[in-house]
Amino acid sequence: MFFEQLSGNLVQGLILGSVYGMATMGLSLIFGVLQVVNVGHGAFIMVGAFTALILFQSLGVPPILAIPVALLIGMCLGMIFYYGAVKPLVSPSGAGIRKVGRRQLGKAAGVFVAVMIAMRILSGVLDLNIAFSIFIAIILMYAFLVYVYGGRRQEKGPELATLLVTFSLGVILEEVVKQIFTSEARGYNWDLGKLDLGFTVLPFTKILASGGSLTVAVLLYLWFNKTRAGMAMRSVVEDSVGARVCGVNVDWQYALSFSLGIGLTVTSGVLLTMFIPVGINPYMGGGYTLKAFVIAVLGGLASPYGAFFGGVVFGLLENGSYTLLAALPGGEPFALTRFFSFVMLLVILLIRPTGLLRRKG
Amino acid sequence: MRGSGKYLPIVPVLAAYALLLLYGLAAPGKWQLVAQLAFYCALGQAFNLFMGMTGYVDFGYVAFLGVGTYGMAVTISSLSDGGLGLGIILIGFLAAAVFSTILAMAVGAVALRLRGAYFAIATIGVNEGFRYLIEGARIWNGADGIIFSRHLKTALGRKMAMTVSTFWADIFVFGVAVLAAVLTLYYLRNKVGYALLALREDEDAAKVMGIDVTRYKIIAFITSAALAGLLGASGWALKLTYVYPPDVFEIHYTVEAIIIVLLGGAGTLMGPIAGGLIYGVSKYFLAITLPGFQLLIFAPIIIAIIVIFPEGLVGILKGKVHGTSLEKFVI
Repeated sequence: MFFEQLSGNLVQGLILGSVYGMATMGLSLIFGVLQVVNVGHGAFIMVGAFTALILFQSLGVPPILAIPVALLIGMCLGMIFYYGAVKPLVSPSGAGIRKVGRRQLGKAAGVFVAVMIAMRILSGVLDLNIAFSIFIAIILMYAFLVYVYGGRRQEKGPELATLLVTFSLGVILEEVVKQIFTSEARGYNWDLGKLDLGFTVLPFTKILASGGSLTVAVLLYLWFNKTRAGMAMRSVVEDSVGARVCGVNVDWQYALSFSLGIGLTVTSGVLLTMFIPVGINPYMGGGYTLKAFVIAVLGGLASPYGAFFGGVVFGLLENGSYTLLAALPGGEPFALTRFFSFVMLLVILLIRPTGLLRRKG
Repeated sequence: MRGSGKYLPIVPVLAAYALLLLYGLAAPGKWQLVAQLAFYCALGQAFNLFMGMTGYVDFGYVAFLGVGTYGMAVTISSLSDGGLGLGIILIGFLAAAVFSTILAMAVGAVALRLRGAYFAIATIGVNEGFRYLIEGARIWNGADGIIFSRHLKTALGRKMAMTVSTFWADIFVFGVAVLAAVLTLYYLRNKVGYALLALREDEDAAKVMGIDVTRYKIIAFITSAALAGLLGASGWALKLTYVYPPDVFEIHYTVEAIIIVLLGGAGTLMGPIAGGLIYGVSKYFLAITLPGFQLLIFAPIIIAIIVIFPEGLVGILKGKVHGTSLEKFVI
């Protein structure tokens, strides 16, 4: 009985783990190329989940066909966020902003007031909330300052800055989605039948999600190893100065890998919805951020394939430990597995910060 | 800096807190706002002591407030029949400081060995991890939390318990804020501060110069955590007289601490006060006029500050008063 349950949970863990792996590849790609930890990772997964939900509920598109849409949305978001907020902190050719003085601030304030007036006029037609108007006005004022005065000071921002910026980007996404769709938990039901293995039952949607993430991982592997564009990106990971000397446009590779990383993350959000029947809400990402960090650290943080295998290992460990913890009397196995994943993160960071699946050196 | 002027910057800080307190006492209808502002200032001061000085971001900071809250709650709910009178609150504060120090040592033992991004990754799950430990292993009543208003009344009497949770809890928050400010200035003006400054600018260079960076990081980390524990014990436990795991381990409070410190200027003494007052007042008015929109507006502001004004409000002010007679008051 116990072993049947355990093997059933492990198969489930394998299936879920491959999707976890894919959900972490974007994080590792961004860290590998830009040395930026995307602390807002979970929020992008949430965007993918909402993409799948909306496409399925209002247009009847099956989630597996929502993948290209999600990839496109994610890459657009990635480009906007990279040029808007990350580039001024990390760009290898001229990061930072030229000195902002009183005159520049005056102009920015002018932009703010102009946008506010425009939004107020528009609000008569579109019924816009005043807070949303303030939000848009702040964004446009900021965009004005970055666009007009950006990219002159030659110094990189500290690591702290990129952490806080990606964190805030995640918060912005969550809040915007909350304003549009409210914070109630939603879900959808896509049923394709089930596969009975004897000791456990697997819905075909989950198998499809696992297959989808495996396909994406293989495509990414081929792209990195067989195409010129992929090799250019890898060269930046290996040695960004050397890549520059060889004529690789490092600035563009930064933008591309950030946007690809976000695209992959949003796509994984689509696949993850097949495992959560209800529970799609603007704040669902937090738990996935923690899991993604554990997985990324398992796989060595800077390697997308490492992340994929780390995901599989994590899926097995999570489900396996659930079975074992459920056998303990007097505990809540669900909460304990989440504590367990946190302890696992600390232990791996302590004994092997370069990742368990990576050779040393 | 030598001589008697070394600790002068504490004057504007104390003046600011005294004015805030006097305003609260003079305008009773505004006491809740004043208490909230004091809480934000104290949160900023305590958080700044580690993040501002070292440049390491601790995303799990709220866990220290959480265990501090539990420290007070566990003390009052288990010792209420002991006839300790007001001493029980003292023991509660002690327990809060001890609990958060122990957690800080446990987390620090792993996280402080790690640099930059790895540190942030190690800390991001501390609050969630600890919450799930309490809920999963059913420690301290598990997911049901502890409600101890009844115990507080048995220990102190009905009237005194009321006064403690409506008035003295807020005064204790002021106390924590002042204590955090004094410690910050003391560190800034002594070896700890200089070592941390060197560490923040270039950790490798600091190590090569023979500075024991790990030791100073641990000092700042534990001080900051213990202050957070005291803040949780006064601002949450005594004020609300209940503790409930999802509330006290909510990452939202870490975000607020980050906003406050960055608004005012990381690593400065007056920054958290300026940041706390601005954040608290604007949040208060936003909550009245546009409930539920605070984060939507504050998140892009954090990005704008980091990219355009990384030195924060007090950082800019420091640049302005440089070379004038006011210089020795601003840090």
